[in-house]
Amino acid sequence: MARDSRRLSRRQFAFLGTQAVGAVVTLLLGIPIVGFILSPLFHRQQVVWLQVGDISGVPDRQPTKFEVSFPLDEWTSSNVNLAVYVVKLNNEYLVFSNTCTHMQCPVRWQSDLGQFLCPCHGGLYDITGKNIGGPPPKPLPQYVHRIDGTTLFIQNSFTESI
Amino acid sequence: MGRLDAVYDWFDERTAVRSLVRKGLYEAVPKRGAWFYTLGSATLVLILLQLVTGIFLTLVYVPSVTEGWASLNYLKQHDAFGSIVRGIHLWSAYILLFVIGLHMVRTFFSGSYKRPRELNWVTGVGLFLLVLVMAITGAFLPWDQAAYWTAVVVTNVPAYTPFIGSFIRALWRGGDFVGPITLSRTFGIHVWLIPAILFPLILAHLALLRKHGEFGSYVNYRGAYRSREGVDVPPVPPQRPIEPPYPAVPTDELWAAPLETEDFFPFQTFKDGLVSVVLVIVVFLLAVAIGAPLEPIADPSTTSYTPVPEWFFLPLDELLLLVPQQLIPLALIVPAGGVLLLLALPFIDRGPERNPFERPAVMVPGGFAVLFVIILTLLGSGRLFNL
Repeated sequence: MARDSRRLSRRQFAFLGTQAVGAVVTLLLGIPIVGFILSPLFHRQQVVWLQVGDISGVPDRQPTKFEVSFPLDEWTSSNVNLAVYVVKLNNEYLVFSNTCTHMQCPVRWQSDLGQFLCPCHGGLYDITGKNIGGPPPKPLPQYVHRIDGTTLFIQNSFTESI
Repeated sequence: MGRLDAVYDWFDERTAVRSLVRKGLYEAVPKRGAWFYTLGSATLVLILLQLVTGIFLTLVYVPSVTEGWASLNYLKQHDAFGSIVRGIHLWSAYILLFVIGLHMVRTFFSGSYKRPRELNWVTGVGLFLLVLVMAITGAFLPWDQAAYWTAVVVTNVPAYTPFIGSFIRALWRGGDFVGPITLSRTFGIHVWLIPAILFPLILAHLALLRKHGEFGSYVNYRGAYRSREGVDVPPVPPQRPIEPPYPAVPTDELWAAPLETEDFFPFQTFKDGLVSVVLVIVVFLLAVAIGAPLEPIADPSTTSYTPVPEWFFLPLDELLLLVPQQLIPLALIVPAGGVLLLLALPFIDRGPERNPFERPAVMVPGGFAVLFVIILTLLGSGRLFNL
């Protein structure tokens, strides 16, 4: 007797059933795990104002380093100190992170060169933060800032993403 | 029959352990050049050294940006034996990278990756890459200055992947910046994720080796003499009947089975053991005499620290230094292309010829590639000493 080809055989049913079971387990495990791995990416960092300090003593055209305590966020209550360069140009202030835009190494001001230098791959920035030599593809990142009297505050965010 | 034999028999009846041991130990392996064929077992021994010392290091190490460095500093200050264990972990990792590279070069040279052993090579390339990932992720964990800046730079490299770069960076870092989640993730990758792939892959690599038999190199085959003399030498009967696994697949009669073989145990195991024990002694001496360094705790606010790449990262770092700013993704594309070429090698170089001197189309570019990596390393090596 010819079998109805539209009907599943017992073997085909078991074959598909085994795969269905595997798919269910994969999905039930996979969705929370993938979500777990991705979740920090959707965690919006809380924007806070941080006090840098009194900048009345910052000399003209001499980038000055301040250390600012940033909240680490996530689960830890401890903070991390980051370097902030304050540059006074005439009566304007520029507030730089010392994060190189090439590989994020710690940039330092070289007064002998009159430039910011990255020790990793020799990136150079001028006093306005413009990338003028070596591999950095962008200018030095600047913090969003405001000045109350002579006290400088920054946000824990850059004016442009790096 | 002794009592021990009776116990052995009891187990054999229930587990077939006797035939397993016999199969494992008395396999035929190529006789000539056997010293060159010790590199694989040396790699395995060094990886096992990593496993053992790594397991014990978790007895003290805490994966935390506040406690991680302190836990290793405690080890350094108060635990001489623990410091030796950490020293063994570090120095055997360094030597492992070197030995696995030699193992790969030897295999490349002898053309052992050809049919039917393509997947031995592919799994081997996979193992090489996983060992590199282990080395890089391991370098993050001490959370001293060197570790922190390595973490910053290394997690930033994939940011230059076209289109999805910053996504990959954020995925590894667990955010935009290196922080607590970066260390937790990297610890998980180093201790669980990669080993969970690495060790089964080692088993697959060894199972494939056993399935096809150890190839050796062209000096072990009649084909070698054909190539040298330009004429076929008459078939020489092997010293002893060829046993499984030779010939596994009759691809080419000349390269199917080595001319002379001997038992894996105790002949090859003795040579393997000697090479490995020398390496283990060297690792131990380095661990005691030099140990594993621990710089001051990570200081993201530094403007005086000069980050220096791990020595195995030098070729890539030198590429980062050399490519101009418009072409930074090249520093990623060049190594990625190299990896793809490595994986594709057995499917590109498919002729039966194994003699390296008869395969210039593969040996010459391969030689240049090795030279390129060595030159980049040498160019960058001045940085290790802050030159």
